[in-house]
Amino acid sequence: MSDAVTAQESLEAVLKDEIIRMYQDVADHPEGEYHFFHGREAAELFGYDPEWLDRAPAGAVASFAGVGNPHLRSAIQPGETVVDLGSGAGLDAIIASWSAGASGNVIGVDLNPSMCLKAQAHAAATGARMECRQGQMENIPLPDASADVVISNGVINLSFRKRKVIEELFRVIKPGGRLSITDIVSAKQLSQSIVNDPKLWAS
Amino acid sequence: MFRLFEESGFTRVRSAVVPHFRFRKPATQNSAEAFGVKAVVFTATRPAAS
Repeated sequence: MSDAVTAQESLEAVLKDEIIRMYQDVADHPEGEYHFFHGREAAELFGYDPEWLDRAPAGAVASFAGVGNPHLRSAIQPGETVVDLGSGAGLDAIIASWSAGASGNVIGVDLNPSMCLKAQAHAAATGARMECRQGQMENIPLPDASADVVISNGVINLSFRKRKVIEELFRVIKPGGRLSITDIVSAKQLSQSIVNDPKLWAS
Repeated sequence: MFRLFEESGFTRVRSAVVPHFRFRKPATQNSAEAFGVKAVVFTATRPAAS
């Protein structure tokens, strides 16, 4: 294996650790200040219905760290299987469960097993049905063609291997299924100093 | 990312800028603007089996 590949894999591993650390920090310390808006303030900025935010567990709302509102175009129907890629503390998955209903199925996927436990606890607290699987978005822990809808909010931008992530989305979505994803994009190539700095990349 | 969706086999790929997105810290927002960073919503469909 070349030195460049080894270095890339090492940087990716460090990045994933930084991502876990940063978003765990948001969940553990929602009162903190970060580079990005978070919590109810961010959700309202992106057009989340205030009634959703009143109904959802306070901890899930406070830990929200998305960059938009994938629910506006997801059109989730009762009975559908929904996957939330990068489910964090569970706000988007919980909201999705309200539309999918008792006959539907919502599955969160998160890199951090601690966040999976937190999301499931938040869901259980309100009677929402949701499971969470720990795993990487570059290797989604789901069978082929298992989701009617995939939602994601500010997650794919954190990956070094975006093509692989999107190929994985294609694999897990059923033929005829769909996605609604909000994410950060850059019109210009980021400088190597940013790419090489996990703290800047994860921000 | 739009191109990646299409190259992976998705169809009906649509995108729109998320209004009101910005970073909290002014220095971060200034840097983001310099790189043309914005939030975008993507929707796409996996073709139905033929």
